[in-house]
Amino acid sequence: MDKAIIVDRLVKNFEVVEKEPGLSGAIKSLISPKKKTVRALKSISFTIQPGELVGFIGPNGAGKTTTLKTLSGLLYPTSGFVEVLEYDPWSRNPSYLKQIALVMGQKNQLWWDLPAIETFELNRAIYEIPTRTYQDNLKELTDLLEINKFINTPVRKLSLGQRMRMELTAALLHKPKVLFLDEPTIGLDLVAQQKMRDFIYEYNNKYNATIILTSHNMDDLTDLARRVIVIDEGQLLFDGAFEELVSKFAKEKIIRATLGSDDNIKNLEKIGRVKKLDFPEVVIAVPREATAVAAAELLQNFPVEDLTIDEIPIEDVIRKVFKGEYKK
Amino acid sequence: MNKYLSIFKISFQEEFVYKLNFVMWRVRNIFQILLIFFLWSAVFTDSQTVIFGYDKAKILTYVFGIMIVRALVMSARTSDMASDIARGNLSNYLVKPFSYFKFWFSRDISSKALNLIFAAGEFAILYLILVPPFYFQTNPLTLLWFLVGIVLAIFIYFFILILVSSITFWLPELSWGGHFLITMVIVEALSGALFPINILPLTLQSIVMATPFPYLIYFPVQIYLGNISGQALLGGMIMAFAWAGILWLIANIVWQKGLRSYESIGR
Amino acid sequence: MMFKKYLKIWWIMSRNSFVMVMTQRVSFFTFLLGKIIRFSFFFIFLFFILQGAKTLAGYGANEIIFFFLTFNFIDIVSQFLFREVYRFQPMVVSGDFDFVMAKPISPLFRVLMGGADVVDLITIPPLLVALVYFGSLLHPSVIESVLYVALVLNGLLIATAFHIIILSLAIISTEIDHMVIIYRDITSLGRFPVDIYKQPLQAFLTYIIPIGVMVTVPAKIMMGVVGLWGVVSAFIVGIVSIFVALKFWNFALTKYTSASS
Repeated sequence: MDKAIIVDRLVKNFEVVEKEPGLSGAIKSLISPKKKTVRALKSISFTIQPGELVGFIGPNGAGKTTTLKTLSGLLYPTSGFVEVLEYDPWSRNPSYLKQIALVMGQKNQLWWDLPAIETFELNRAIYEIPTRTYQDNLKELTDLLEINKFINTPVRKLSLGQRMRMELTAALLHKPKVLFLDEPTIGLDLVAQQKMRDFIYEYNNKYNATIILTSHNMDDLTDLARRVIVIDEGQLLFDGAFEELVSKFAKEKIIRATLGSDDNIKNLEKIGRVKKLDFPEVVIAVPREATAVAAAELLQNFPVEDLTIDEIPIEDVIRKVFKGEYKK
Repeated sequence: MNKYLSIFKISFQEEFVYKLNFVMWRVRNIFQILLIFFLWSAVFTDSQTVIFGYDKAKILTYVFGIMIVRALVMSARTSDMASDIARGNLSNYLVKPFSYFKFWFSRDISSKALNLIFAAGEFAILYLILVPPFYFQTNPLTLLWFLVGIVLAIFIYFFILILVSSITFWLPELSWGGHFLITMVIVEALSGALFPINILPLTLQSIVMATPFPYLIYFPVQIYLGNISGQALLGGMIMAFAWAGILWLIANIVWQKGLRSYESIGR
Repeated sequence: MMFKKYLKIWWIMSRNSFVMVMTQRVSFFTFLLGKIIRFSFFFIFLFFILQGAKTLAGYGANEIIFFFLTFNFIDIVSQFLFREVYRFQPMVVSGDFDFVMAKPISPLFRVLMGGADVVDLITIPPLLVALVYFGSLLHPSVIESVLYVALVLNGLLIATAFHIIILSLAIISTEIDHMVIIYRDITSLGRFPVDIYKQPLQAFLTYIIPIGVMVTVPAKIMMGVVGLWGVVSAFIVGIVSIFVALKFWNFALTKYTSASS
């Protein structure tokens, strides 16, 4: 097996019934429903090697989740060819499903009113994990994610961060070879985000697992993804090394500073491109490679009270890709 | 008064938003009527038979009477009070300058108006399909008493719903269970919506008649059928009136107590 | 092996829903009480009607009661097994169904039988006792009794088919809510032998929604009033309906759009 995932000219259309307002509209749509076809994926193709960790980015409604769901056998492709681990996902072959996992940041598969351990036990039966393996995996995962203390607490009493780690444990008990992570860090605080990222990195390395990760969080990609695929409106816009994407489209970093006074505020222009000046807050875009220098200069010459350096928001990067700033 | 009129209007429109819910509720009513109708038709295969003092025409009029009386008395939204309390939405209403009871009563009236329109339509259709022997009451005085009976029934039902919803103050998990047990099971069976109370043996009858439930459906329909008159009518009216008053009193007391425990929890 | 796996999963899920029900004990007993009272009221009502009328559509008191009990048995057993169907609509709307689909287990099994209702489990044994008692009053032959059991199972098969169709409809259109309630209202017409209903309702209950086959035919076999052809066609209806339902389910799955993209 030289390719873990093959997607070739994948198309997915949804039919939606359009609704008209009011009572007469409701009756009309009942008698002759107006159907509209939403083209969620317009012929996308890519392949992924075993052990690769690929970031999947794009704005909301771009088709990221639709792709993940098609790959995990939830959605029936309208046309095109999809193969994961040499299986057709839609046939939902149990031996295929036993090798994959789908984790969605905003949803939960845990039984809400029961301790997480009950869901783990259920998954053990569903995935037919041998007792010994189950115990080893459970111990390993809970140790790594630092959640052994909470497995007997009802899920509804857990914090979001704890719950997400439980979700991940539940999804990984069967040691999947392919992992689909949809927004795994959404809503988590910075510490929890970092823990999640460290874990994903570990898992990828240790088991040579193939991982597709969608995220809105640039840090997730910076830390994890060596390769990224950008899609928008159901089309593939970019597929290549993360560094390439960054060097081409995220040429700048963002410095945010809070100033103590407005002395020689005009000279800020010399540091970099001033994106926003709303005293005492300033936002300056500086070339990526000159970030450190610019920050130092700023600290030296201005009465800075607070300073942070951020990546450009992922939406901006995509907007640039989309605008055609990237030319092949 | 004006604000309750607005509530009436909004509620009326809201029913259209949840039109599927509404349609389902009407469909359920039709099936229930069909079940009872055919059951009694089977009992009275011979139109000369007289059982429990009913002949075929009278019992089928009773069944069709249930349709209309049900739409008037049992169409209500006040049972949603329970989920308001359980979820803490009640607070949103308490801060507003209106009476929470009148708010729900306005909504009930709007629900009744809408249901009555539909029930009348269903009545006409089923009447044309099934062609039952139907007894048309023509005495204006009897019809007047019938209306009084309906009004009392509406109030009795309203207070029962408030009381059942109030259970939620102390047992939030029973917001739905309480209405299941009392509104859907006990009221349903003892109100006469399934069978006329006087098919029961006398002792059972008098026990049931001492509760508020038969005054919801059985009693008004009996007035319409002309089965109750004179002293019995007067006695029944007094009972219905007394129950409406007692339930109003209890509902108010319980509600006040409930509010106190609601506030103490601080939801 | 397959069967054992599913049995084990069913057991775990049922245990979980039992534990959850037990955290709400007051609610549990209220529903139990409500169901028992509703059953008893109807039973008492039936009793008094039969005292007045002696026979209904040509059936005697014990026979009518046996029809009623058979209906209740099929109704309660399918509620016990298929309680999860009542929760499927929100599951599709919230997108939690995605997780069900992504697991190496039949999604149909999970959403059909994923949470047995403990309340109904408690009411089944007394109902069985009543069925055996009233059944024995009809003095059936051994063959009739065996056929009765087989036809009740066939009735449960038809009930299963209906639940599968309801689930499929929920996937195809999230607008269709309450289908299961309508289903129950229609089947509740089976509390009495379908003979009491006039045309076209009777035809509807025989051919479109085969409640007659589901409930009335099994009870009738105990009274010796069903011919060979009646029995054979009942089994055909059972097999065809489950077959159609499964086809429909597979079709519905291809239409699954999943909540939000």
